[in-house]
Amino acid sequence: MAEPTLLEQLRSNEKAFEETGNLFGLQSLPRKEKDPGTYEAVWHILSNVCNLAWEVGCKVSSSPIAVEGGDALWALHLPTGEAICVSRGITAHPGLLAAMIRNFIELGYEEYPGFNQGDIFENNDPHYGGIHSPDFDMAMPIFYEDKLVAWASCVSHVSDSGSVTPGSVGFLNPDCFSDGICISMEKVGENDAFYPWYEKRVRSRTRTPDFVMGDARGRLAGCVALRERVHAVIDKYGLDFFVDATKEYVEDSRRYAVSRVRTQCVPGRIRKSQFKDLAMKGQHVILNKQDVDCLFNLPMEVEIDADAGVRFSLRGASGTVPFGENISPTALKSGLLNGYSHIIGFDMFNSGPEASWEVETAPAGSWANPFEVDYTASSGVAWAPAVMWMSNLYEVFGRLFQMRGFVEEMAAGAATTMTAEFAGVTQLGYYLAGLTLEQASNGSPARGFTDGENSAWCIYTPNADFGNAEVTELYYPIMYLGRNIEPDSGGYGRFRGGLGHTAVWMVYGTPSGIEYQCGCAGMRSKIVSNHGMYGAYPTWPDAPSYAHDTNVQELIEAQKPLIHERGPATKPTIETNIEAADLQANPSAPFLTRELLQNYDIIVHPISGAQAMGDPLERDPESVVEDLNKGWTSPRVASEIHGVQTTMNGEYVVDSVATKQRRSEIREERKARAVPFKEWWDAERQKVAAKENMADAVCAMWRSSMQLSPEYGAELRSFWDLPDDFEF
Amino acid sequence: MAEFHKADVEKLIDGVLPWPAVQDMMKSAKDTDRFDKYIEILQERVPWDEQILLPLTPSLFIIARHGARVVKCRCGHEFGDYRVNWKLSALIHVRDDEESLSKVYKGREMPDPTWVQVREYICPGCGAQLEVEAVPRGCPPDFDFLPDLDTFYREWLGRPLPDTAQFKDLTPDLVAEWRA
Ligand SMILES: [Zn+2]
Repeated sequence: MAEPTLLEQLRSNEKAFEETGNLFGLQSLPRKEKDPGTYEAVWHILSNVCNLAWEVGCKVSSSPIAVEGGDALWALHLPTGEAICVSRGITAHPGLLAAMIRNFIELGYEEYPGFNQGDIFENNDPHYGGIHSPDFDMAMPIFYEDKLVAWASCVSHVSDSGSVTPGSVGFLNPDCFSDGICISMEKVGENDAFYPWYEKRVRSRTRTPDFVMGDARGRLAGCVALRERVHAVIDKYGLDFFVDATKEYVEDSRRYAVSRVRTQCVPGRIRKSQFKDLAMKGQHVILNKQDVDCLFNLPMEVEIDADAGVRFSLRGASGTVPFGENISPTALKSGLLNGYSHIIGFDMFNSGPEASWEVETAPAGSWANPFEVDYTASSGVAWAPAVMWMSNLYEVFGRLFQMRGFVEEMAAGAATTMTAEFAGVTQLGYYLAGLTLEQASNGSPARGFTDGENSAWCIYTPNADFGNAEVTELYYPIMYLGRNIEPDSGGYGRFRGGLGHTAVWMVYGTPSGIEYQCGCAGMRSKIVSNHGMYGAYPTWPDAPSYAHDTNVQELIEAQKPLIHERGPATKPTIETNIEAADLQANPSAPFLTRELLQNYDIIVHPISGAQAMGDPLERDPESVVEDLNKGWTSPRVASEIHGVQTTMNGEYVVDSVATKQRRSEIREERKARAVPFKEWWDAERQKVAAKENMADAVCAMWRSSMQLSPEYGAELRSFWDLPDDFEF
Repeated sequence: MAEFHKADVEKLIDGVLPWPAVQDMMKSAKDTDRFDKYIEILQERVPWDEQILLPLTPSLFIIARHGARVVKCRCGHEFGDYRVNWKLSALIHVRDDEESLSKVYKGREMPDPTWVQVREYICPGCGAQLEVEAVPRGCPPDFDFLPDLDTFYREWLGRPLPDTAQFKDLTPDLVAEWRA
């Protein structure tokens, strides 16, 4: 009997899942049951094979993003695409890589151009499920004795994607034509070598071709290393075992995710609104249509049914934006798998959990499903709205775990990811465009029993790492004047989020000036997040600043104080210590500077902390005082927000009596100034109807959300008692 | 499998369980009776006697009384049927101008009040800040969680509640009353 084609296998897998509820129809896990030791051991061997590929690939690559930040990932897949196990690195990608391999099969590539050992396939095109142009997804089939037994895959984030602005965080891209180099579901090489025309395209269509090709060779080297090690594993444990066990790992992981929901959550309906701004009116943009302020509606509704099935809905998502912040449904699901792996399914991280949930297709024409309506929408940095939507997941499951008593598993909302990119001639005389990894180390969310960790977490990778300052200084013409924990940056609550940090850079050594792009890979400038979990106050908006044409060189020569930190919010150090012809102490972010920054210009770039949980009056006074003495909170926040009163004895000491009294006063003040909800509702609905004090971006968001999701619109109108034909 | 005692869970809730023990809890197989231990602890800590069916948040509980299921604060204040968003029965303070926002967010940390309002939901009984929402004007309050309590008790815990209630969001009914 002829071996079924991969497409036939895909279809029979679907049928088996539908009939049994088990992936591949695996109603039991015979390899695991028969020999659990070998089963576990081979899992760890395969995981390490992926990590080895990551080590090899990142070393072969020459780009600072891979070498210093490790912003890449390798994975091993079943013949039909499902990820079996993955390396460390950017775990937002296994879902995308799995979907890409599946897509190659669905598109008939098995027949033409065919799959052979040594073939290299790639995609970075969002129209075919890619996330955004700088993330190059690669897959290579792994044959063993003429049979396709697995795939090796990789993604790496290149330093320049050839988009309309230099670098890789293309938030300013007005449409997909400005997204840069495009690899659209292509075979780009064979016999373990790229076609010559692949490199030619990279050379003509990216600004940093040596780095981009370095990354390509890194991906290839990692995949080849992975393939060779997989051969060794099959040689040792046998092909039958490999074929059986790799399927079982995926089904095992699905079962784990289902069972965690069933044993640690509660069935029901969860709703979590979330928003993100992109305020670009009056800013430096590419096309006139971008002279607009945008607000994204990022709602998450989760339904957990009796069988512990989880269904996500984006009903109410707002429309596409004329910027690079729209994401394909495939990419969004991959992002969700990443978040899910942090929270639910992290025992064996692979495609399994995807079969334990469903994502309702987002409204066509929304930022989360752009192309059916807005085919030329840009995805330059599609992660931006997606990661902020995913942030809901941490709080939502944190709430569920609390209800079952699993306090040790609780988390509050995530931090944001504001990026810094530089482009220009470096101190070494060559042109470089690229990202610092500063944003890859946020504070971590508050937990149910303690504060989050400072500068140790990142939503898209479990390996948070902001890289070494000294190494970053080698790549870019900048010098670190400071890298400090930012006080009060983790929200205010019983437990605060881990704090973020502020980098202070001085431009240094460039012969021609450099571009500085304060980019949005998921940040807010106008609003705070909707993460007031259990009565906490969310962290403040992202607020960078810079100074151009400064007196810093004179300050250095005169040995006068410079700037090493942000300083107080009402009196930032950049205003008190620095003079500049162009001092932007409070620019609306994100932005691209209008002029090139010159040597001795200053950038103050904060990286956000994460969200808090609980009433700030319930924070242990000793924790508040500990923060005071470390410089991690301010006397104002300690006293006014937490109600903690102190005395000084060389350092701050809690005044317990005064604290107790102040806290009870604050509770009374709260009751005195608050009003019954209905009273507020009566007044508020008049204001809503009159659109009183509502920014254009807010009205535009509601308009598109209500048009794209009529049911959501009807609910909103009904809640505020607005006429059926009311529009914002 | 590690065993976790009620006392450990109490310490965990209070944030005083030593980190190695918390890690142990995170890494080990979970204790299957955690929910029962948790409810027992919470029940001992509240100054009232009604049975806690579900802790909605660390401060708010769904309790059973004479066939009704009611949201109740630690302090004893009640918010009504659990199928109506309790926020509609709370006190609310909204920061939607610079003056009120500046009490929390100073200087350039302040969000823009034409883009977002900060809503504080306060317990009329004890003055606890139960939830904070930061949303643009026009956003209905999130109904954070509507549990399917009967399915939970019957199918997940294997001990059905003595009575049943339809799994349905009744918030729109209350709003309809207000509109009338
Ligand atoms: Zn109360």
